[in-house]
Amino acid sequence: MEQIKSLFYRPSAAAVVALLSVTVFYIFAGVEFSKLMGAASWVNYAARIGIVALPVCLLMVSGEIDISIGAMIPAGAMTTAIISGHFELPMIFGIIGALSVGVIVGVINGILAIRTNVPTLIITLATLVGMQGVVLAGSKLLTGSASVPLTAPDWAKTLFGQLMFGGNHQVIIIWWVVLAFVFWFFLHMSKYGNWIFAMGGDKESARNAGIPVNRMTVLLFVLTSSSAAFVGMCHAILFNSAQVSGGMNDIFNIIVSVVVGGVLLTGGFGTVFGVFVGTLTFAVVNKGIDFTAIDRNWANLIIGAMLLIAVAMNESFRAFALRASVGKKGATPEPTPEKAT
Amino acid sequence: MSSSSHNSKGKVSFGNLIRLPETGSFIGFVVVYIFFAILGGAVFVGAPGWSSWLNIAAEVGIIALPVGLLMISGEFDISVGSIVPASSMTVAMLSGHYDLPATVGILGGLSVGVSIGFVNGILVTRTTIPSLIVTIGVMFAVMGLTLGFAVLLKGSTSVSYVPNPTAKFLLGQFINYMFSVAIFWWFAFVAFFYYVLHISPIGNWIYAVGGDRESARNAGIPTSKVTIGLFMASGFCAAFVGVAQVMTYQQAQVAGGQSFIFNSIMCVVIGGVLLTGGAGSIIGILLGTMTFAVVNQGVFFAALDPNTGSIIVGALLLIAVVSNDSFRKFAISAASKKT
Repeated sequence: MEQIKSLFYRPSAAAVVALLSVTVFYIFAGVEFSKLMGAASWVNYAARIGIVALPVCLLMVSGEIDISIGAMIPAGAMTTAIISGHFELPMIFGIIGALSVGVIVGVINGILAIRTNVPTLIITLATLVGMQGVVLAGSKLLTGSASVPLTAPDWAKTLFGQLMFGGNHQVIIIWWVVLAFVFWFFLHMSKYGNWIFAMGGDKESARNAGIPVNRMTVLLFVLTSSSAAFVGMCHAILFNSAQVSGGMNDIFNIIVSVVVGGVLLTGGFGTVFGVFVGTLTFAVVNKGIDFTAIDRNWANLIIGAMLLIAVAMNESFRAFALRASVGKKGATPEPTPEKAT
Repeated sequence: MSSSSHNSKGKVSFGNLIRLPETGSFIGFVVVYIFFAILGGAVFVGAPGWSSWLNIAAEVGIIALPVGLLMISGEFDISVGSIVPASSMTVAMLSGHYDLPATVGILGGLSVGVSIGFVNGILVTRTTIPSLIVTIGVMFAVMGLTLGFAVLLKGSTSVSYVPNPTAKFLLGQFINYMFSVAIFWWFAFVAFFYYVLHISPIGNWIYAVGGDRESARNAGIPTSKVTIGLFMASGFCAAFVGVAQVMTYQQAQVAGGQSFIFNSIMCVVIGGVLLTGGAGSIIGILLGTMTFAVVNQGVFFAALDPNTGSIIVGALLLIAVVSNDSFRKFAISAASKKT
């Protein structure tokens, strides 16, 4: 009993409950469970937003937010396609180019975040709009069109843009799972994870405790924008072309996935596992509706309701867990290993 | 002594003028306007240019005003992006599809906005969920409801509606075939919100809530009512723009309106409102909106690639936030030196 209870104290509890209830709801709405499990559309979608949601989770735990990701996905795709498609340079230059665009924008975001008192929502709103303009105007200037074709060599296709098992599952699903493990290790097993939680709790105290807050902030911004550029690059390789549009909806979708996964917008709280489940939940809601008898047009209503309910659940589970740990006098609420000292 | 309003001591010095929060936004507007006036030439400086950017400014500006007030009080409203199509759809449904009188349609559209704002306000004040998340959730829900009902009731995603001459004259007319009547509504909204924020006691409450909610509550300010009222105001204004759009274009679409989310926030930020709450002014928001609209439309007159517009807006946003930051430090340090 005690163990079942303590499961609900975990930050990802609400996300798991949300995923289960959404699936059950869809089964009642007429979807065949085996058909949903076998379908690729929602897993592909989960991988697309999930790869970006992972670093956004870390960033949000540290108390910041990045919405420039919405421009970085098409930016990564366009950079790859312009370098390797339009100028016909070797594929490797396209890949390096896309990732370095991500790194550059991340460094700009990070430097602005640590040098000014401006909230990161506004800083990244500025880079979002700016990058959209740069990508659009740049591709018009260099190629004369807003859509660039790209033929990738076999090795790049295998690594980034293949459909697996002869079916419709994209290879980025594997990237997503691997990256989830990497980020899980980074946030929950390494000392850097403790730093990130400390920054989200109280930046000033974290700095005074000797944590390199500024360097970590820049690093986290670099991770988010290069992950977004990576997703764009994979899509350009998979679909053999890149478009400048798209990506704006991803901003809200990614934030929703992260928040449903139990990350606190104000920082200091969240888990990688929760975000993984939150992303799955969002993808099931968004793409699973096609398998039900419900009209696709109501999908957004379900997403909105799910977000509000999941967040409300997160809040009450958290309050519940905190109360429980206060009640147990003397017991440490969280086993936080002191590796740093 | 018209200038004495700037200074309680009746003395205007350069130092005081430059420390006004709006100075940065004003300089920004002048620089941007001159830049596009040179590139755009006589057409941009003349009536066609003014009408084109004022029409844009009016639409964004009506929404940017309450969004700015919300940001001063420390909250966000993302849901405006879905209220605009929801209200224009309601008008077209009621008055177009069901042939009810225009007044019923307009009242229906506006009450949709006010009710959504009320829901936002209740959710934000009764729970501990940040308003950014609440309004993202409400935005998705309203988008789904609009699309779902449009398809359910009408079977299509766009509904046309030919308004009667009075409704058209009041809300969707172009004066001289150029200036949208929404511009005058915008000025009326500016005057109203100026009164609310800078003259009435509610304005002080809004600043106090944005500065420190807990202290504001302890000082006897009805903080929850202020927040709910502001969300209802932003819902109303977004719905108003939706109504004006359906009157102007004689058609309502379920999509669209998304651009208002970030555009309104950008106008407000260029106008010098602190995102963290507690600072900002109506004149600043007005200037920010005008700057945004000049850039937005100026690129067409200047024969630049339209996409360079968003580079300029992005750069302006960064300059605005960085300079507001240093302006404020400068002003606060000067003020603390005096005492």
